[in-house]
Amino acid sequence: MSTYGALLEGGKREETLEVKRLGPGLFEVRLRGRAHVVDAYRHDHGTLSLIVDTASESAMLDWRSGTKVNVRLRHSSYALEILDERKLRLRRAAGRFAAEGRQSVTSPMPGKVVKVLVRAGDEVRQGQGLVIVEAMKMENELKSPKDGKVVEVLAVEGQAVEANAKLCTVE
Amino acid sequence: MRSKRTIKKILVANRGEIAVRVIRTCREMGIATVAIYSDADRGGLHVRFADQAVHVGPSASRESYLAIEKIVDAAKQTGADAVHPGYGFLSEKAEFARALDRAGVTFIGPRPESMDAMGVKTAARARMAAAGVPTVPGSTDAIADEEDAKAYADDVGYPVMVKAAAGGGGKGMKKVERAEDFLSLWQSARREAAGAFGDDRLYIEKFLEKPRHVEIQVFADEAGRTIWLGERECSVQRRQQKVVEESPSPLLDDELRARMGEVAVRAAKAVAYLGAGTVEFLVDAHRNFYFLEMNTRLQVEHPVTEMVTGLDLVRMQIDVARGEPVPRQEEIVRRGHAIEARVYAEDPAHGFLPSPGKITYLRVPGGPGVRDDSGVYAGWTVPQHYDPMISKLVAWAPTRAQAIEKLIRALGDYTVHGITVNVAYLSAALAHPAFRSGDYDTGFCERYAADLLRPPDRGYEDVALIAAAVAAFQRDHDEAEAFATRAGNGAVRSEWARLGRARALLRGGRP
Repeated sequence: MSTYGALLEGGKREETLEVKRLGPGLFEVRLRGRAHVVDAYRHDHGTLSLIVDTASESAMLDWRSGTKVNVRLRHSSYALEILDERKLRLRRAAGRFAAEGRQSVTSPMPGKVVKVLVRAGDEVRQGQGLVIVEAMKMENELKSPKDGKVVEVLAVEGQAVEANAKLCTVE
Repeated sequence: MRSKRTIKKILVANRGEIAVRVIRTCREMGIATVAIYSDADRGGLHVRFADQAVHVGPSASRESYLAIEKIVDAAKQTGADAVHPGYGFLSEKAEFARALDRAGVTFIGPRPESMDAMGVKTAARARMAAAGVPTVPGSTDAIADEEDAKAYADDVGYPVMVKAAAGGGGKGMKKVERAEDFLSLWQSARREAAGAFGDDRLYIEKFLEKPRHVEIQVFADEAGRTIWLGERECSVQRRQQKVVEESPSPLLDDELRARMGEVAVRAAKAVAYLGAGTVEFLVDAHRNFYFLEMNTRLQVEHPVTEMVTGLDLVRMQIDVARGEPVPRQEEIVRRGHAIEARVYAEDPAHGFLPSPGKITYLRVPGGPGVRDDSGVYAGWTVPQHYDPMISKLVAWAPTRAQAIEKLIRALGDYTVHGITVNVAYLSAALAHPAFRSGDYDTGFCERYAADLLRPPDRGYEDVALIAAAVAAFQRDHDEAEAFATRAGNGAVRSEWARLGRARALLRGGRP
């Protein structure tokens, strides 16, 4: 049996799931105090046909990383993070320091830095614009995650950046 | 009928879905095609679809898809008889049409003089007013001084629209609600216009009450026969960008439609128009309509007109370029209802942040009455350099209500992995009571912004969690097994693969 923690709404909610293998493609999954018998059949890239108790559902799983997955079901899309017990413990430990200490501001997509709005040493407020990155002909302002001081600026105007590239650090 | 001009090879001066769209019709007509591509588009679908392809420069548009000289050279080098510009890029640049003309290559579009006449919006408005076409009340000329502009706006009454004289595509366009915001928005529009068009002239229009954007497709041949093919309602817009378009418009009756069609034809004739064009109107709450601008090219949303008329507008453009006539007005028949939804690589849940990147999996909808005009494929990296639209999904049905249901169904089948797309947003827009009722205007997306970002259905959350947990469990299990195998035990076998075999055996079939 394995236990997983599922984070919903960007970590605002958390659910625990216990998965036990009963046979080939057959599982028992405990969630919110209920045990479900789940027959899972993988069709093609990420399509999972599920018979949960007797309900037949198709889920499309789009893995964005080892833990982040978008699950599309009927007309809804659920952005989830699935963590095993070890990762869950690490996350909880890290979570306590989330709002404190140094925070990196990264580019959410590949693009080009069109404007750097701050300099190292500047005092900034939470939500204040730090860097403008252009992608697909649109400008996107990246904001400070916290009140603090800009300790490092890596972004250079006119420079191309990859997704997740560090642009600056606020402490 | 004998053509005046031979067109055996067409260079498509565009990329993405519209380049693919044009190439498809060329192939059906037995016309050879030439694609152009930038560094980022070497793997583009349009390059694969075309018979020939010419590299025209680096990824940035201004060095490739906007580089007139390089594209004219590519046409000469490949012996293309004609160039189809698609939409955007150079499609409305008279300078491009003139450069092709000098090189002896046919431009599939209007005469450069018509493009000039419609290109400067203030001049176009004046010309239309002179031709008896109603225009939105506002300044006849660009206003140079900001204090004069404010005095004018105060006089007209708020809200007003500030627009770029050289404008288009929502750039340099601002809605001013209150007198105290006027100067800062005027200055902002001026900066945007200067950046986008190299021309910072601005003018002012009155903002109409509950305006609807309704446009008329027109077509004209060399002999001057000018017809209209019906309307498209494009009032579902976000930040001045169209999102959903439909035909017919739920607002129009036959009488109003015919009046607008006739006015659109008059507008086209006033500039000696040739080929496919669109006359855009605003219709106010009292069903008065006003000329907005004329787009001297094929529109993004042309498929809805194709679906209701059964015509191929790209084929008609090529026919006109060959010197052939357009059909007579009475030959145009419209049937049923068509709706188009624009699929954008963007994330509505995160402020519509662009989402370029690699498409890891793609499954597009099908079924009766569904058309997907796409420019992407699984494995393609959607470049960060260009427009985020990856596809247009269109549904046709006998009635509007059925077309809505069909498009919602088709959007539900649209699966794109690796990047984020707006299909859930589009479904929410179509399913919204205001859209269903047909009583909506250009404020729709803003007014119902919260409704259109539907949170996922809590009723199916458990199933989603179970799916993710089972998939994670199976993956971890497979990984553990692969690790054990490397350590020297057993064969590498995916649990999923083994499961497939086991099931096949149970059914007595072959794995």
